[in-house]
Amino acid sequence: MGELSPLGLLRDGLAWVLVLGGSGFMLVGGLGVLRMPDFYTRQHAAGITDTSAAALILFALLLFAPDFLVAAKLVLILMFLLLTSPTASHALAQAAVASGVVPLADDWRTGENREAGRESAKDAGAGSGPASGERQ
Amino acid sequence: MLFAVASLAVAVSMLFALIRALAGPSVFDRILAVNMFGTKTVLLIAIAGFFMGRPEFLDIALAYALINFIGTIAVMKFFRYRTLGLPRGGEDLGDL
Amino acid sequence: MHDHIILRVITKLLMPFIFLFALYVQFHGDYGPGGGFQAGVIFATGLILYALIFGLRSAKKVTPPRVLRVQLALGVLLYAGVGVVGIMSGAEYLNYDVLAEDAHSGQHLGILLVELGVGLTVSAAMTLIFFLFAGQEQ
Repeated sequence: MGELSPLGLLRDGLAWVLVLGGSGFMLVGGLGVLRMPDFYTRQHAAGITDTSAAALILFALLLFAPDFLVAAKLVLILMFLLLTSPTASHALAQAAVASGVVPLADDWRTGENREAGRESAKDAGAGSGPASGERQ
Repeated sequence: MLFAVASLAVAVSMLFALIRALAGPSVFDRILAVNMFGTKTVLLIAIAGFFMGRPEFLDIALAYALINFIGTIAVMKFFRYRTLGLPRGGEDLGDL
Repeated sequence: MHDHIILRVITKLLMPFIFLFALYVQFHGDYGPGGGFQAGVIFATGLILYALIFGLRSAKKVTPPRVLRVQLALGVLLYAGVGVVGIMSGAEYLNYDVLAEDAHSGQHLGILLVELGVGLTVSAAMTLIFFLFAGQEQ
């Protein structure tokens, strides 16, 4: 990393920008997974680390690839992560909704709290919960 | 230096994910944390390969990314339908 | 189920790359990390992904367990056959030097065939184990 050619300096500078950006996203996302109040917000935080942070760090590594095969593998890993992480997040969120994990946020259509609405529905004796209602 | 900073950030993030995986509270939180931990492991293996000057580590990272995705899908399917192969109710079309 | 369209599309998109990567690990094993066992596991992973998303029934249509059992035995036969060819040519069991004109290309050919046998057996065994685990009723 130490050579003083203009191209090397440019590469180092660009790599530092990418790595610092990626590390920032990584730490913010990790903190979010630890501190966010409910499952869906935590998933948002995890999604940041899985896509933005991973892509930035892999781009930084791409600048140091010694030959074509290594660069192709890095691009393949990047493509793989960008395809699979959102898919896993989507499937996980759908499974959570189907098994009745209630978001903490208010319903954007009615403005009422979902947890409160669910409790009153349960009190009224509405038979099918979200777990059994989703798939039929 | 560059790679050290990146791997340190990834390691700290992995620690947070591990705490979340242990703390729960729901099973989906744990799956989420383990999936995130796996993605971080892929990045850590890739960075370590460049750090040690052995870019063939990328093969392992690629395989790990693959297994991580399929493992998440499998665990999730098991917790949602309580079976890996047959769909609930035994219909002909399969699953997930 | 037809409601998981994203998982279905992504699976169809990923499966060729998984199999390509498995073949890369299989045939690049003598230069990098990898070899028959790893390649077999990755190949089986692709089939397991298919079985998870599209159901066990359609996966068994693609790779019938009958064929997998034959493949399982075929891999071991290939491995042992390479060894027996060594005996037939007047050297020890699994001596690769006598497989071709000179020792170097003979070793290359021998390792390639033996790893191919390992890969065939491992991929068939992993897929069969998954089929058995996933097929059991509750």
